[in-house]
Amino acid sequence: MGLTGRLAIRNLARNRRRTLLTAMIISLSLTALMFTDALIQGMTDTMVRSATRLYSGDAQIHHRDFLARQDESRVIDDPQAVLEQLAREPEVAGFAARTLAFGMVSSAANNRAVQVVGIDPEAEAGVSKIAGAMIAGDYLSEAGPVTQLLIGDRLAELLEADLGDRIVVSVNNQLSEAAEQQLFRVSGIFHLNARAMDENLAFIRLPEAQSMMGLDGAVHEIAFNMTSASLATDTSLGLWQRLSNDRWVAQGWTELMPQLATMLQLTNSSTIIAGIVLFILAGLGVINGLFMSIYERTYEFGVLLAIGTRRRQLFKLIMTEGLILALGAIVIGLILGVLLITWSASVGIDYGSMEVSGVALAEIIRPQHRFMQYSALPFWVLIMTLVACIYPAIHAARIVPAKALHKSL
Amino acid sequence: MSSVIETRDVSKHYGEGDTLVKALDRVSLGIAPGEFTAIVGPSGSGKSTLLQLMGGLDNPTHGQVHLANKDITQMSGRELSDFRRDHIGFIFQAYNLIPVLTAAENCEYIMLLQGVPEAERRERVYAMLERVGLAGREGRFPHQLSGGQQQRVAVARAMVSRPNIILADEPTANLDSQTGSDLLDMMHDLNRNEGMTFVFSTHDPMIMERASRLIRLKDGCIDSESEREA
Ligand SMILES: Nc1ncnc2c1ncn2[C@@H]1O[C@H](COP(=O)(O)OP(=O)(O)O)[C@@H](O)[C@H]1O
Ligand SMILES: [Mg+2]
Repeated sequence: MGLTGRLAIRNLARNRRRTLLTAMIISLSLTALMFTDALIQGMTDTMVRSATRLYSGDAQIHHRDFLARQDESRVIDDPQAVLEQLAREPEVAGFAARTLAFGMVSSAANNRAVQVVGIDPEAEAGVSKIAGAMIAGDYLSEAGPVTQLLIGDRLAELLEADLGDRIVVSVNNQLSEAAEQQLFRVSGIFHLNARAMDENLAFIRLPEAQSMMGLDGAVHEIAFNMTSASLATDTSLGLWQRLSNDRWVAQGWTELMPQLATMLQLTNSSTIIAGIVLFILAGLGVINGLFMSIYERTYEFGVLLAIGTRRRQLFKLIMTEGLILALGAIVIGLILGVLLITWSASVGIDYGSMEVSGVALAEIIRPQHRFMQYSALPFWVLIMTLVACIYPAIHAARIVPAKALHKSL
Repeated sequence: MSSVIETRDVSKHYGEGDTLVKALDRVSLGIAPGEFTAIVGPSGSGKSTLLQLMGGLDNPTHGQVHLANKDITQMSGRELSDFRRDHIGFIFQAYNLIPVLTAAENCEYIMLLQGVPEAERRERVYAMLERVGLAGREGRFPHQLSGGQQQRVAVARAMVSRPNIILADEPTANLDSQTGSDLLDMMHDLNRNEGMTFVFSTHDPMIMERASRLIRLKDGCIDSESEREA
């Protein structure tokens, strides 16, 4: 090691407590940045999965006018062709056709306006989590009676209805343009842990729904999941084109739930802002630590300059001290970061039944490792530290030896 | 005989207006090779200022400082750095040494800046530390040495880079009289046997007596000058 490096290391070792404190500012900033990123990753993942995999699916196909107009007559009248195409797409993991009706459910005690969804039980189980969310009774089955009805636990409470109770469902028939009523029995109660769904959804089998609505094999929605959730946001994939035509359109969740996408973006921006604030605070801490060490050594720098050290060499010495400090601190920060993320991921963070913009954080959040936490973040922390060193280093290099030495002369 | 260093009409003023201090006022002085010169005078008479200007640590308000027929007051910052490194040895009153470097490393430092090869550096450092009576203490850090030993390292550091002149500002002021006297004997010995030119400031009468030339400063002016056979 050169003399500059040796000098720098020994200078850092001179006031160990201060060096350690300054290093801790850098280390903990890095750890905090890493953990925040990991948490946001985990949270985003959980939220997106709650929002999509619970019920909606990663993507959906509708008649081009259906969502905008909420018009139940805008249907996909040839779902079979679309379903066959979906089966051919390698990125698609599961798909299910649905009918959607704005309807009324009435029990002996109460009425509620809800969305009545007709589903194909087997296909639906490959897209949403309803089958696994049953808390009473059974999921819909092909073999069972035509009067099977699934409602959420909150809706059951509101209707004061229990398993086996009679419920009258009424929806609009598109052919007769009149209300069509039919008697069902509560065959299952689900709990998706998302208020909007547990309160406002009722499921019946697809053929019954189609006949009540006079749809003749047509559906309103085909929901599907991708092999990896992140594929749904990749608009460059060819399948969006292949699954759309002039009448229906396939859209990923960012288009279907723009408020969720916006919120995640907002979360990202606030993380970046918090990160910048953290950077500035850490930078000021580093500047402060280095300045204290430089003020203490003013006389010494005077001697170094007097005996022929160039100003540039003194600048280099301070920067080397900063570099060594930063590298050491970053190693500590990385170790703390890995440990914290790994530990919190294994334990998980339980937000209880917190809902963010109507979407429940149903699952335990597990912070996630990703490459940038170990590459970009330490890199920027290093740059931050070196930038923070420049000011004190320039200050040291500008010391006037005659003045610095005046004290004792 | 031509001078090692020559000041021509050199003045140094600090502050301005009411607070103006004429630390040096039109001092012209030549130092010949091999001199062992003492600058004496009461505190505040301008001794340190004169040594700083001769060593290129600061620029005079008026006048010129010449070394080997070059006017150092015209040099750029970097030229001046290199000039000090190659031509001047400095010894200050105290805290001369870099605390995190050993005695040997302190001496080696300037030669490193000069680009002297490692083997030669080591050889010169060990020889010089032995010369000032510190053989066996090369690896000690300054805080492990006594005040007198630290000043000896400072002398060794100034000598080892082979400057034209060594400027010592009250080198014995922080030492007890015996240690101070020993240090001066050693410097005098280096002056006679190695031919090194020394200019030192002091207000210790015992130290003054060893000088071959005595320059008395008063209020920034040369008050009187005397020479004696060494
Ligand atoms: N950097 C400085 N700023 C202001 N005044 C100074 C400075 N250096 C020296 N002086 C003043 O110049 C005068 C001479 O100082 P100095 O050369 O240190 O004297 P000495 O070394 O003989 O005690 C003193 O009055 C001192 O206060
Ligand atoms: Mg003085």
